[in-house]
Order: sequence, then C-alpha cells, then structure tokens
Amino acid sequence: MAFTSLNFLLFIASVILVYFLVPKKYQWVILLLASYAYYWISANKLVVFLLFTTITTFYTGRFLGKSNEKHNHLLETNKDTLTKNQKKNLGAENKKRKKLILWIAVILNFGILAVIKYFNFFAGNFNALFSTLSINTTIPTFEFLLPLGISFYTFQSVGYVIDVYRGKIEPDRNIARFALFVSFFPQIVQGPISRYSQLASQLYESHQFEYTCVKFGAQLILWGFFKKMVIADRLAATVGSVFDGYQDYAGIQIFIGAVMYSLQVYCDFSGGIDIARGIAQIMGIDLAENFKRPFFAESISDFWRRWHISLSTWMRDYIFYPLSLSASAVKLGRTSRKILGTHLGKLFPTFLAMLITFLVVGIWHGASWKYVAYGLYNGVFIFAEVLFEPLVNKINKRFQINPKVFSWRLLNIIITFFLVSIGRYFSRAISFKTAVRMLYRTVATFDPYDLLDLKLLQMGMDPKDIYVLGGAVLILFIVGLLQERGISLREKLVEQNLVFRWSIYIAAIFSILVFGIYGIGFDPVSFIYMGF
Amino acid sequence: MEKILQILSALRPEVNFQEHQKLIEDGILDSFDIITLIGELDEAFAIQIGVEDILPENFNSLEAIISLVERLQSEAE
Repeated sequence: MAFTSLNFLLFIASVILVYFLVPKKYQWVILLLASYAYYWISANKLVVFLLFTTITTFYTGRFLGKSNEKHNHLLETNKDTLTKNQKKNLGAENKKRKKLILWIAVILNFGILAVIKYFNFFAGNFNALFSTLSINTTIPTFEFLLPLGISFYTFQSVGYVIDVYRGKIEPDRNIARFALFVSFFPQIVQGPISRYSQLASQLYESHQFEYTCVKFGAQLILWGFFKKMVIADRLAATVGSVFDGYQDYAGIQIFIGAVMYSLQVYCDFSGGIDIARGIAQIMGIDLAENFKRPFFAESISDFWRRWHISLSTWMRDYIFYPLSLSASAVKLGRTSRKILGTHLGKLFPTFLAMLITFLVVGIWHGASWKYVAYGLYNGVFIFAEVLFEPLVNKINKRFQINPKVFSWRLLNIIITFFLVSIGRYFSRAISFKTAVRMLYRTVATFDPYDLLDLKLLQMGMDPKDIYVLGGAVLILFIVGLLQERGISLREKLVEQNLVFRWSIYIAAIFSILVFGIYGIGFDPVSFIYMGF
Repeated sequence: MEKILQILSALRPEVNFQEHQKLIEDGILDSFDIITLIGELDEAFAIQIGVEDILPENFNSLEAIISLVERLQSEAE
C-alpha cells in the first residue's frame, strides 16, 4: 500500500479517526494494530522478519537491563566490604557480560539483513573470483524477498540495543509497546530511523486532538505529495531514459540527467518523509527531521549533515565514534604518528574510521559495487575537506577571502551540488561499470552546444511538463531559501486570514491532482527508498 | 580550565568558547572535532572518554567539558 495511493489515504484517515475516538489509554494499541495491519497488507508473511527483530532486540535489551540490575545489586549489598579493586573487577565482569549480549543482538539482526540483502552479492563475487582462478566451486545463490523497510527497522532496533548497552536509556519492559516502536507505520517504509529516547515515549503517551497539529500535519502531507507527485514522478521518465540508455545521449545531456536524478531522489525521499512526519504530527507525534535543504550545502560534509540525517547520525553514533575511539584506533594512532608525524599521524585513524563509515553508508543502500563506490566517493571528499581545511583557511587569510560573503558561499553551493550530482552516477546507474562508462562518456563527448538539442527534454516530457516542472522547482527553491533564512512558511500561512489560507490549500490540492504524475491506470509510482 | 581552553582554541581558533553554550547543537563542533578533542583530552588529563560519554550535554560548553573531565578524573582515582 503506497503512501500516495487512495487506499493509503483512506487507511490513515480511519486510523486517525479511531485514534482520537478510543479512550486515551488505548491509543497506543490502535497505533500498534494499525502498524501491523499496514505491514501485513504490504508485506504479508514477511512480517515474521519484523517479529524476529522485535523479539530479539526486546529481549536482549531486557537482558542488558538485568545485567545492570544484578551489578548494581551486588555493589549495593556489599558496598561496605568491597575493595576498590573488587568493584573494578565487578564492573569489568558486567561490561563483558553486556558486550556478549550486545553482540548476540547485533549478529542476529545484521546477520538476517546480511543474508537477505547481501548474500547473493558476496556469492556472485566469490563465484566470479573462483572462475577467474579456475576453481571448480560455485556458491549457490537464492531468490530472497526483501522484507519491507528491513534496512530501516533493523538499524532503529539495533540502535535501541546499543543505547541500552551504553546506559543511555532504560530497557523497555512491555514487548507490545516496544513492537510499536519498531513497526510504527508512517516510518516503517523509508524512515526516518528514529531513536528510542526521542520517539518511544511519544508513541506510548496519550494525545489530545489538537487543531494546530492537524493543520501543520496536513500541510506537511500536502507538501510531501507536491514534491513526490509533481516534481519527482515527473522527472522519473527522463531520468530513467538517460540512465538506461545513456549511449543515446551526449556528455552534457548525461550530466543533466544526473542533476535531474539528484532533484528526483531528493523530492521523492524527502516527500515521503514529509508525508510520514505529517501523519505522525496529526496524532501529536514528532518524528525526527531527515532533511535540512541539502542543496544549500556548502561542502560534502555539510551535505551529509542535511541529507538523510537519521542515517548519517546513526552511522556517526554507532559506527564512526566507536571505531575512532576503539583500542585498535588508539594503537594505530601511535604507530601512524611515528610514520606520518604528529599532525597527520593523529588524524589517520579517524580518517580510516570515516572511510569505513562511508563504506557502510554506501552498502546500506544495497548490495552492489556501485554503492561501495558511492560511499567511498563521499568519504574521500569529506576526508579531503578535513585534511585541507587548515590550508584553505591559510589561503583565505592570505588572499583576504571572506568565506561568509554571499558570492563565496554561492560558489561553494554550486561546487557541492556539482559533486553531489557526479556521485549520483554511482547511486543511480544500473551497475558500477555503467556508472564509470557514463562518466567517461560525459567527459569524452562534452559539448555545451548539445544542450540545444531538444532530445533530452523530449524524453518523457512535453512542453507542459517542462513548464510545470520549472514552476514547481521554483516554488521548492523559494521555500528552501526562506527556510534557510529561518522563516517558517507554515507558521506564516497559519497566521493568514481564513479565505487566503484556504485558497492556498485548495490551490495546492488541485495542483497535486492536476499536475501530479500517476502510473499506468492511475497507480502510484513507488518510492525510491522503499527499495533499500 | 586553562588547558582545556587551550586545546579547544587550537582546534577551532575562530570560536569564543567562553561564550558558547550549544557547541554541539549549533554545529560548531562536528564529529571530527569531537574525536580530535577526545584524543587531546585523554592525553592531557590521563583519562579515557568513552563512546557512551559522547552526549551533547557533555560537550555543549566549556563548563560541560570541564565537568566531564573532572568526573572522569575522579572516577579514575
């Protein structure tokens, strides 16, 4: 059941209605039932995977809590007799026990993800290697069905267990309520990947019907539909045509195709997130922000602070930090200092941790070399930005360049957008090889005059589409610009008179109905991130 | 305190650390700065700042960083 289908709209309308009609103490139960109904309708028997993750992460969380309780009880009952060393030993013992429990949760859950999502990738690569080395062995491959939202709910649930392990949160004591945290239907398909500390209590608490929340939530849903159906789905055909048949296009046209994909994937993904956040907001639940106008980023690091924020902060907190602070990193730092000198040697383990983190970000998207390349591409730029920052600061000082002026920032925004679009070759092309060929063709046949060739614009778009797209992107840009300046359009709109406000709402609804793109037989077009 | 201020100023010379109260939430210190800062603090004060200590409330201001260092120092004794 896609977010943009009529069935889904009816589904959420009924859920919201029942949510506010039932006694408040049962509101969370309605959300749980709705979430499982949604999952069952969308993924059917694959719900067992969701149940598996829920049960394993819930109980490992509980075991971690029990381990802490046992430890604290021992300390409390023997506080007068225990020596400092004994206390230290007990602490170490508890840590060891907790580490084992944590690893069980991580291996079970990422193990399932690895088998379903990555097994064929590794088997295929090993088979290719065996055949190159003339080894007569073949690893069988299997057709797995990817459970809906597995990459999102697995990361969210494992994040919960790590937070319990680190003592950041107390383990949940109610498995049914915890099941809601894992499966909350607006976010199960494509996130955001929420944190237990931020979301769980909101789900369990009761919420009063509030007109302001409904207004803001509905606005956000409309905005999400606009981005998804008017912009993203309108670009889909042209982008598909360029990426699937790049041989028919000249260099600059391929590049424009990649730029269009940058825009498509942003509007598709952030549109879906806006719909999810809007639904939650109507019920008084705040889901984490996942995007902060990424195309206003002034560097690749800045881009990742604004793009898919819930994934990048997950990677930062649960992969980058532990890797950087691990005993191996400290040891590596000592060795690298001897070889590379104090400054570079100190930075080296952190750089390595960052590259590994971006490698994981890449393969999070899917099992393919193109995603490995996509992750590393971004990692290398961030690496370069950190490495050369002191040099850039020196140059700026020497030539009296003020990095805060508009012209300089604009230049950085354009360069970042260009680099992000080049990165999109890897994430969108059908394979790594194709991405490299497309890049080669972009450079080898680059001629700005090819822009005058209307071929690109004719693929899947007529002049009406182009005007609509231009207008919609202009609206997107103006809204983004105002938000960048701290102006909240939603609040401004709410302040307006009833007639003006409703004229805007009705115009927005009609523009989505009239200018929205529908698939064959008015079927909705799937979301890109649903496939991850 | 002087020592911590020195470390912070070497990391981000343009920031007035005595004024800022939201170093993390305002994005003044990024993840890379945090790791570098932890490395410097660990070395200077013979402490071990763990991954569980990386919380905004421990790094949001100079005072917060000082109390984190002091807490870890007293725990190590």
